[in-house]
Amino acid sequence: MNKLYTCHRNAKIKQLFLNLFIATAVTLNGCATTKIAEQPHRVNKADPYENFNRKMYVFNDTVDDYVAQPISDAYKWVTPQFMQTGVFNFFNNLKTINVIINDVLQAKFKQSGEDAGRFALNTTLGLGGFLDVGRNVGLEQNDEDFEQTLAVWGVPQGSYLVLPFLGPSTWRGIPGSVLDTAANPVSYVGMPIQLVYLLNSRANAEGALKFIDEAALDPYVFTRESFLQWRNNLATDGKTEASFELDMDLDSDVDSSVKSKDLNADGKAESK
Amino acid sequence: MVFKNIKLAVVFMLCAFATVNVFAESETGATARQVVEKFQTELINVMKNGKQLGYAGRYEKLYVPVTNSHDLTKIARIVVGKESEKLTEAQQQKLVDAFTRFSVASYAHNFKDYSGESFVFDSEEQTARGGVVVHSHLVIPDDKPVKFDYMLKEKGNSWRIINIIANGVSDLALKRSEYTTILQREGFDALIAKINEKIDNYSKQ
Repeated sequence: MNKLYTCHRNAKIKQLFLNLFIATAVTLNGCATTKIAEQPHRVNKADPYENFNRKMYVFNDTVDDYVAQPISDAYKWVTPQFMQTGVFNFFNNLKTINVIINDVLQAKFKQSGEDAGRFALNTTLGLGGFLDVGRNVGLEQNDEDFEQTLAVWGVPQGSYLVLPFLGPSTWRGIPGSVLDTAANPVSYVGMPIQLVYLLNSRANAEGALKFIDEAALDPYVFTRESFLQWRNNLATDGKTEASFELDMDLDSDVDSSVKSKDLNADGKAESK
Repeated sequence: MVFKNIKLAVVFMLCAFATVNVFAESETGATARQVVEKFQTELINVMKNGKQLGYAGRYEKLYVPVTNSHDLTKIARIVVGKESEKLTEAQQQKLVDAFTRFSVASYAHNFKDYSGESFVFDSEEQTARGGVVVHSHLVIPDDKPVKFDYMLKEKGNSWRIINIIANGVSDLALKRSEYTTILQREGFDALIAKINEKIDNYSKQ
């Protein structure tokens, strides 16, 4: 009965999100005015839907400013620090189940053993996961999820997308997130716990969001680039040399442009 | 007497050798690893006194270490990419000036206090185009370490940082995307205005 109720409720939530998604898309696409007098610019290969994504980014930012952040601030204000840490550890420990599944799917068997040991330790000695005993004995948590597994299996990343309420993603990230949600025990418990989970997630993102707010000249581009690079780094376990290759490309671009300028200058000088 | 002479000769030789070595060092400059480690040490020192120094003090203390260890002129040129061709000499100079102040201000703002952090050298490698990548990580008590990879290029007789890759996120690529987008969408004046606004915000916090 409960299962039936949960399924029915989840279907209703999905319907609600779908309606909101469509309504938002239509509304935002209808907005003709922007603050910036935009000049035509080159389309970023990874972000062909930039115009739509930017609008969705603004929408999410507004929702965050007026709903998520005030609630998250209130949560942080009423909850002592040790409790916040405990709640973070608890949900993080549950996430380890997903990490172990993806360790195995990526054939990282030694790592799956370490993560399983960490999960067992935190669940027992760590009082259900509220204490991170694993870290104290040198077992750092690994970061694996279904999107990374799909990347390891050779599924292409696809274009960058900003999803309503959920934020940055890619075409590959959508099935990844669906499978991650399915593999997280939090998805199968009551709404109050899911709400605490969401509040905890938002409270943890506070530092990163503040950093973007302070450092970014264009927060949309800053978020997109750091998200895509971060995901790429996770998918390759930091072993990619892409970053260095990119740097060399950047450097050679400039060198060639400088050289071409020098050549032009020389050409002009000669013609004179 | 003979021993005394030999001793003097050895001392003289050592002095002469030391002089040559010092000369060689100033001639060839510090290695890439030395440049990175010197900068990291200076950064940690400022963090240790961060609260007493305040933002202005940290900015002042970090100005020389940042500008000496980073090739900010080159970085400023890379981050605007091909858009630099459309900028006048005066605009390019204005960009380098604003970018330099912004870089120092970012360090002064983000490395404001100390809670036992330390940098650890991991390894270094040469890149195909004659650069050097110094791999290191920042140890943060009770937190995951952050991987810092420094990409350096030779400038004159010394090595200069042109990019920092933190946990796989390249600062140079990130900035290049931002700066070129703003130049294309809003123009040069808007870019400089945004940089100055960020510097102002850093100084007020």
